[in-house]
Amino acid sequence: MKLIKAIVRPNKVDDVREALEKLSISGMTVTEVRGHGKQKGHTAIYRGKEYNVSLLPKMEIEIVVDDTIVDDAVKAIIETARTGEIGDGRVFVLPVDKSFRIRTGEPAV
Amino acid sequence: MHASDSRSSVSPAGALDSARQELIQDTVRGTAGHAAAERYADRVDTLLQRLFFEAPPAAGPVAILALGGYGRRHLTLHSDVDVLVLFERPIGPEDETFLRGFLHPLWDLQLVVGHQVRDLADFAHLETDNPEFLLALLDARRIVGDPTVFTQFLAAFHRPEAHASILGQLQQLIDERHDKFNGTLYQLEPDTKDAPGALRDLLAVRTIARLTDPALLGHGPAEEARLDEAEDFLLRVRAIVHLERKRNQNVLSHELQEKAAQTLGYGGAQPQQRVERMMSDYFRHARIVSRSLEWVLKTAPIPVGVNLVQASDGIRFVDTQRAAREPHTWINAFQAAINHDTAVADDALALIQQHVDRFAAEDFFPSKGDLDALLTFLKPRPGLYARLSEMHDRGLLGRIFPEFHLIFSRVVRDFYHKYTVDEHTLLTIRNLERLATPSTPSRNRFGGLLAELVAPELLVLSLIFHDVGKWRDEDHSVESVRMARQMFERLDLPLESRAIVEFLIQHHLKMSLVAFRRDTEDPDIVKHFAELVGIEERLKMLCLLTMVDIEAVSLETLTPWREELLWRLYVDTYNHLTLSYGDERIRHDQSNMAELLAGRPPDVPETEIRRFLEGLPCRYLQLFDREAIYQHVQLSRDIQPDAVHAAVVRKGATWELTVVTLDKPYLFSNICGVLSSFGMDILRGHAMTNPNGLVLDIFQCTDNDRYLELNKDGRERLLDVLEAAVSGRVDVAARLHAREHSILHSNKVRRFAPVIHSDNHSSQRYTILDIIASNAIGLLHRISRVISRHGCDVDLVLISTEGEKAIDVFHITAGGAKLSDAAQAALTADLQHMLEGHDEVDQGDRPAQ
Repeated sequence: MKLIKAIVRPNKVDDVREALEKLSISGMTVTEVRGHGKQKGHTAIYRGKEYNVSLLPKMEIEIVVDDTIVDDAVKAIIETARTGEIGDGRVFVLPVDKSFRIRTGEPAV
Repeated sequence: MHASDSRSSVSPAGALDSARQELIQDTVRGTAGHAAAERYADRVDTLLQRLFFEAPPAAGPVAILALGGYGRRHLTLHSDVDVLVLFERPIGPEDETFLRGFLHPLWDLQLVVGHQVRDLADFAHLETDNPEFLLALLDARRIVGDPTVFTQFLAAFHRPEAHASILGQLQQLIDERHDKFNGTLYQLEPDTKDAPGALRDLLAVRTIARLTDPALLGHGPAEEARLDEAEDFLLRVRAIVHLERKRNQNVLSHELQEKAAQTLGYGGAQPQQRVERMMSDYFRHARIVSRSLEWVLKTAPIPVGVNLVQASDGIRFVDTQRAAREPHTWINAFQAAINHDTAVADDALALIQQHVDRFAAEDFFPSKGDLDALLTFLKPRPGLYARLSEMHDRGLLGRIFPEFHLIFSRVVRDFYHKYTVDEHTLLTIRNLERLATPSTPSRNRFGGLLAELVAPELLVLSLIFHDVGKWRDEDHSVESVRMARQMFERLDLPLESRAIVEFLIQHHLKMSLVAFRRDTEDPDIVKHFAELVGIEERLKMLCLLTMVDIEAVSLETLTPWREELLWRLYVDTYNHLTLSYGDERIRHDQSNMAELLAGRPPDVPETEIRRFLEGLPCRYLQLFDREAIYQHVQLSRDIQPDAVHAAVVRKGATWELTVVTLDKPYLFSNICGVLSSFGMDILRGHAMTNPNGLVLDIFQCTDNDRYLELNKDGRERLLDVLEAAVSGRVDVAARLHAREHSILHSNKVRRFAPVIHSDNHSSQRYTILDIIASNAIGLLHRISRVISRHGCDVDLVLISTEGEKAIDVFHITAGGAKLSDAAQAALTADLQHMLEGHDEVDQGDRPAQ
């Protein structure tokens, strides 16, 4: 099992969700996050004064998938979240050693 | 009383002497209490009636009124006889003859007459600097003369605000009087009139009860009869003091106490015992009066409006039967509750609930004044949510707005909203009112938007209706708009207001959609959203509506992250609207012109409209309704160089000046200067220029000196000076100089450090100057003068004011092009210098115009 963490633009969340559902992947966690990578934010001017936008709003999507469909899931995320501009986000794939259901305490498959 | 009744064979002096002898006899018997004082007052009444009819007649209706103690018929031997000679109309020479004929005999009789001469117009404004006179007026009683004059006086004087003011002043007078006696009633030589617990305190008890709740006297620490008894005692003692002192003195001194005790019939072998018993009685009475006063001061409700008082449990109706008949006054109870930071009392709410079903929606707004009262009530500020909730709970809100009644406890099972639709709606208003006092720095920016709104009550009205369409299971935005239109008709809401409310309801989901689900870094997304909202006012309203709507879904829905996204979309759209609009100009083939052309008046040809509009910024069509545009077209007709075609109209608390002329150097500066020289404070405005040099400026100003209101020819004079200034016949700077340096304006502190931002990127055509500075007389004139002095043309201007902060955006060019970097730097440096308080114009540099 792998944990896929994807940081995407807020307006791309619905597209990513739909793409993953087509791969029969459901049960995702979506979190509002802020941060910046190479895209250093920008400075907006409001009424003559600089308004510093250093931390850009992003959405973090987390899904746990079977090893066999990791590549398809990552590909679907990248294709749907891409605009070609700086700030499209990142995808991380992490190994999952164990997983348990809290209700029953049983190991999850 | 007829004239013949007042005539007698006895002379006035004889009649008065007889009355005084009777009172003296009562006094020496120790019985000059209520009854004797009233008898003496009646005899003086008869005397005044006689002198009234014997005097030469007045030219118009006149009435003689007894005031103060005489008005209450509490006249003792040396009391002042206070009278008001009240004319219906301003006094003329014949009236003066009457006055001499009436008053001089009174003086000859050695009566101490305190007389006031007024006409009814004097009571249009309360004489708040004369509280004793106001209190005396409360006891006004007609002795003789025209009864209608007295009736008119009663109507003019007995207003809730007058009563409230009198009560406030009475409290102050009581405090000051008690201070003179060290705050204690236990005076061994008491003043029977002024001391704590004496006659004035007793009068205060009765006055407060009378003005607030007459039933109070029945619930206090002493029964009314007990107070009457105290009053009778004090009057009897006071009469003895007057008789012994032979003047209007009221102190029961040690040397007079023996005489008084003996006269009043106190028993005891020694004078000391008689005095002690009398004084013991005195303090017993004074304690009763004093306790009653304390109680009434603590308990009495305060008049806060017509038929409304503020009591300890909130706002109550005084006359409940009247309130039950007048549903259009109910909103005033809720308004008063907000104004006085309290609730509407349970009794009043129960009355409303009991009677509300008898009335239809129209019954709550029979006149335009009632609609204005509703809109004033809907202004968002602390307390509005609580009051609306009370109205909703008691069925009033659903009766005023039957559309809202349809969502009463309505549940929409969308697994997103946490509350019923009606409560969600009311919570949006609570969230909005909280922005009036923002709790966090991030909310300050939204609070700032709320403070800037011209008509925030329309935002609240939109919120009330934004989800009413959810009573059906279809597209609720469409249904909400349909239902709001019913309300527009019912309230006869102005067209301008309807357009705003309808826009907000129709698009109340749009901003959240764009902010959270679209790529707002894409300039096209922002551009399209800006096109939808059109003008900044709508953008601010939609932004606030969106924020409070999301926040009212549940406690967790509006995260700081979403708040940030929303704010960014607001800023980007605001910048687009204010900085880029000059690039988007009206074209003759524009699609949205069809409606404008179709509805034109017969005397405005299509070609004239097209010629006028072509080249103006597209936003012009969103800023003004059709009627205003036709008026602008008509004003532009046959305009010649140096001519000014203008109109000045009153719009609520502000004046709107529309100016059409042809462009020339220093034009904008001169127009602003003329307005400032008349004391007009420019709050908002737009200045536009089309490619043919036609200038259209619209200013909304406050007339702080009330020049236009007080001078019939004020508008003509202003327009004359305007034309003279545009043609160069008047030196505007010199006109303005005196006002700028007047003592009235010399103490204005600059509260904000000026901000100037020069932008050469946002617009394809213009260099944009964003200027934020402390608002001041002549500010726009000085800014634009500096710009003109640098050889720049002022093509477009947006003017707005936020509290004491002026926010102006200038779109300028030099020689038809944007400014170079060097030119921008030089201009902003000069502007900064001027805004920091230095003289901006070298006198030698002043142009000839």
